[in-house]
Amino acid sequence: MYADLLDALPHVLGIYNFVALVIGVIAGIVVGAMPGLSATMAISVLVPFTFGLEPLVALGLMAGIYNGAMYGGAIPAVLLRIPGTPAAVATTFDGYPMAQKGEGGFALQVAVVSSAIGGIASAFALMLLAPPLSKVTLLFGPSEVFWVAVFGLASIIFLLGGNPIKGLISACFGVFVSVVGADPISGADRYTFDQLELLDGVSIVILLVGLYALPPVIDLLEVPLKTDQVTDNKLGTEPIWRTLPRMFRFWKTWIRSSLFGIWIGILPGAGGSMAAFMSYNEARRASQTPDTWGNGEPEGVAASETANNADTASALIPALTLGIPGTAVAAVMLGGLLIHGLQPGPMLFRESPTIVFGFMWQFLFGAILLILLGGSLATNSFAKLLNLPRPLLGSVIIVLMLIGVYSINGRMFDVYLMLGFGAIGYVMDKLKFPLPPVVLGLILGSYAEENLRLALRIGRGDWTILFANTTSLVLVALTVAVIFGPSVKRRFFAKRDDEETAKK
Amino acid sequence: MIKLIQTTALASAMILSAGAALAEYPEKPIEVIVGYSAGGGTDVMARTTMPFIEKYLGNGASIVVKNMPGASGQIGVTKAATSAPDGYTLGTFNLPGMMARTIDRKADYSADSFTYLANVVNDPNVIVTSKSTGLDTLEKLLAKAKEEPGAVTVGMSSLGGDDHFALIKLQNQTKTEFTIVPFKGSAPARTAVMGGHVMMGIFNVSEVAKFEGELNILGVAQAERSEFAPDVPTFKEQGIDLINGSMRGVIAPKGLPKDVEEKLINAFKQAAKDPEFIKAMNATANPVEMVTGDDFKALTSELYDLAKGVWETTPWK
Repeated sequence: MYADLLDALPHVLGIYNFVALVIGVIAGIVVGAMPGLSATMAISVLVPFTFGLEPLVALGLMAGIYNGAMYGGAIPAVLLRIPGTPAAVATTFDGYPMAQKGEGGFALQVAVVSSAIGGIASAFALMLLAPPLSKVTLLFGPSEVFWVAVFGLASIIFLLGGNPIKGLISACFGVFVSVVGADPISGADRYTFDQLELLDGVSIVILLVGLYALPPVIDLLEVPLKTDQVTDNKLGTEPIWRTLPRMFRFWKTWIRSSLFGIWIGILPGAGGSMAAFMSYNEARRASQTPDTWGNGEPEGVAASETANNADTASALIPALTLGIPGTAVAAVMLGGLLIHGLQPGPMLFRESPTIVFGFMWQFLFGAILLILLGGSLATNSFAKLLNLPRPLLGSVIIVLMLIGVYSINGRMFDVYLMLGFGAIGYVMDKLKFPLPPVVLGLILGSYAEENLRLALRIGRGDWTILFANTTSLVLVALTVAVIFGPSVKRRFFAKRDDEETAKK
Repeated sequence: MIKLIQTTALASAMILSAGAALAEYPEKPIEVIVGYSAGGGTDVMARTTMPFIEKYLGNGASIVVKNMPGASGQIGVTKAATSAPDGYTLGTFNLPGMMARTIDRKADYSADSFTYLANVVNDPNVIVTSKSTGLDTLEKLLAKAKEEPGAVTVGMSSLGGDDHFALIKLQNQTKTEFTIVPFKGSAPARTAVMGGHVMMGIFNVSEVAKFEGELNILGVAQAERSEFAPDVPTFKEQGIDLINGSMRGVIAPKGLPKDVEEKLINAFKQAAKDPEFIKAMNATANPVEMVTGDDFKALTSELYDLAKGVWETTPWK
C-alpha cells in the first residue's frame, strides 16, 4: 500500500517538478500576503494555465501556492493587523501586538515555523490516511455519497459561523447553479435557454474565478488603502536559527493545533479559518498564562498558524479518495486534476499512483520549503510587497482572469459567465453573504442530486434504501449533530461563550 | 528585355506553383476538431491517428488537433458540420452518440451534414457483474432477470449511449427486464459495480480489461473475441446475437471535393494496414476497426435507425 509512495519520490525530485514547487511556494506567500487575495483565488486563476503542463508540475504549483498562501496571510496580519487570507484572522490577535512591541520579526518567524510544522503534519496525515481510505471507498455507493454531500452542506452552513440564514441562502444559490445544464439522469435540458455552452452545467472554475477573484480585485481598486509603510524597524533582525530555540516551548500547542487542523480539514465544509479559531481558543484555554493572550503572546501566533496550515493536505483526503472536495481550495485542485484527465476517486490510486502519491510528497516538501523560503531574510522582502501599487496589481489580475477563463474551452461565453458571477459575488460580498457555501452548494448540490436519484433507482423507488446500512446511518447522525449541535451547545455553555466573545 | 524575361519567368513560376497547389492537397495545416477535452478516449484516438494520416497524405501535410469540448461532443461536431468543405477542417465523430443526439435533442446537424471519411475505433460492449452477486455466468444472470423482472440493477455511463442500446438489444432478444442506473461516466459506474452497489454493468472492453480479477466479465458484444480480453467469450458463442459498441471516427463537412475526399480516405486505409499504427492504438486501449467512405455512411444510418427505433418504443427522456 505504501510502496507506491516511495516509488513516487524520485518523480517529485525531478528538476521541473521541484522547481514548480519552489515557484508555487514563493507565489503562494506573495498571494497570501496581499490582503484580499486568497489561495482559492490564486489557484483558480492558475488552473486554466496548467493545462499544457505535466500533471506533477501543475500539482506542484498548486500544492506550493496552497502552503505558501496559508503562511503568507500572516505577514500583513502581524504587521498591519490586516489578515492576508481569511484563515489568518486569528493570527492578528497576538501577532499585531507583538509587532507593536517591536517583535514583528519574531512573530513572523514563529508563524513560518508553525506553518511549516502544521503543513508537515498535514502532509503526513494525507500520506498515512488516504491510501487505506481509498480501499474502503468501495463501501460508498450512491446513498452514502448522497449523505456525505448533505453532511458537507450542513456543516458549511451551520459551522461557518456568522448568520446561518445567510449561509443557507448562499448555499441555495450554489445548489441552484448546480441544477443548470443537462439533467444527470435523463439528459433533459434545464435552464439552458438553448445555449449548448450551458448543457454541461456551470464549470466550477468559472464560478470560482468570478466569485473569489473579481470582488477582491474590485476592492483593491476602489479602496486606495493607505497603509503605514512597512519599515525595517518593525521587524526583528535576528536570524531564524537563533530564535528557533525560543520556540520549542510551543511543542504542545504545535501538536494540539496540528490535530485540530487535520481533523477540520478532513471534515467537508469547514476550512482554514475555523481551524485557526478553534485551535487558538483551545490553546488559550490550556495555557497557564491566559492573560498574556491577545497582548502579544507568541504562542497565540503559533496556535493559529499551525492550524491553518494543518488543514491544507488533509482537506484533500476526502477529495482524492471519494472525489468529494470538502473545501473550495480542494474543489479547485480537483478541477486541476480533472483538466489532466485524472478522475478523483479510488481508481486514481491505482491508475496514476505516481501522480497521486507525488502530489502528497509535494505537500510535504512544500511545507518544508516554507521554512527555507519564508524564513529569516525572505520574510523581510515579502513584507515590502505590501508597498506595491494596488491598481497595478488589480489590473494584472483582471487580465490573467480573462485570459485564463477564455482558455479553458476557448470561448467568450465562459468569460461573460465569469463576469456575471463576479457581479453577483461583489453584491453578495457587500451584503455580507458568505461565499464558501455558494461554491460548496454548486459542488455538493450536484453530488447530492445525482446520487439521491441513483440511490432511488437502485432501490426502485424505495426511500428506505437511504437508511439501509450503517455507513449511511452514521452520516445521518453526524448531519443532525452539525445542525443542532451549535444551538444545543449555545444553550448549555451560553455564559462561557459570552465571556470568550467579550475577550475578542 | 531582361525585364520582360523576368516578368515572364515570375508569371510562369506563379502559374506553376498555383497549379501544383491545386493538385497537391494539403497546402496548409488541416484542423481536426475534437468534441471532447484533451485526454479523453476520442481525443486520444485523434491524437494517435493523425500522425499516421500526415504520413500517408504525404506532401508535408500537417494536422492540428483542436479540442472544443462541451454538450457531449455536440459543440465540436456542430462546428465541424458547418465549416467550409475544403478539406482543411475535419472533425471526430462518435457513434451511436452523435446520431442519438439528433433524436433526443434539437441538433443543428443531421446524418446528411457530413462527408464520411473513416470510422477508426470500435470498442465493443461487455457485460460485467459484481463478484458479490454470485452471478458469474450469463445463464445465471438471465435466469435471475427472468425470475424477478427489474430486480437486476445495471450501472452504465449514460442514457442514449452505446451501453444503453446494448442493454435494449439484450432485453429485446432475451425477453428480460433490467433496472437501468445511469451514472455520470463509466468510471463511477464501474466503481459502483465493484463495490456491489449495482449488480451488473455494461461498459466497453477497453474500460474493464484491467479489472478482470475484480469483476465477472460475462461476454463481449463482438463477432470475434477481443484481443483486450481473449478469455472472455463472445455473446454469439453463448447463443445470443448481441453485437454493439462505441465507435469513433473522423468526418468532414458535406460537399468535400471528390479528389480531397479520396486522398483522405486513402490515407486512412493505408494507416489501417500499418502495424505501427495498430500497435500505437492498442497501447492506448483503442481497438481498431477501420470502416471507410460509403460503408461508414451506411453504418451511421444503421445506427441512426436503431436509436430511432429505441427512442420510439422506450424514450429515455
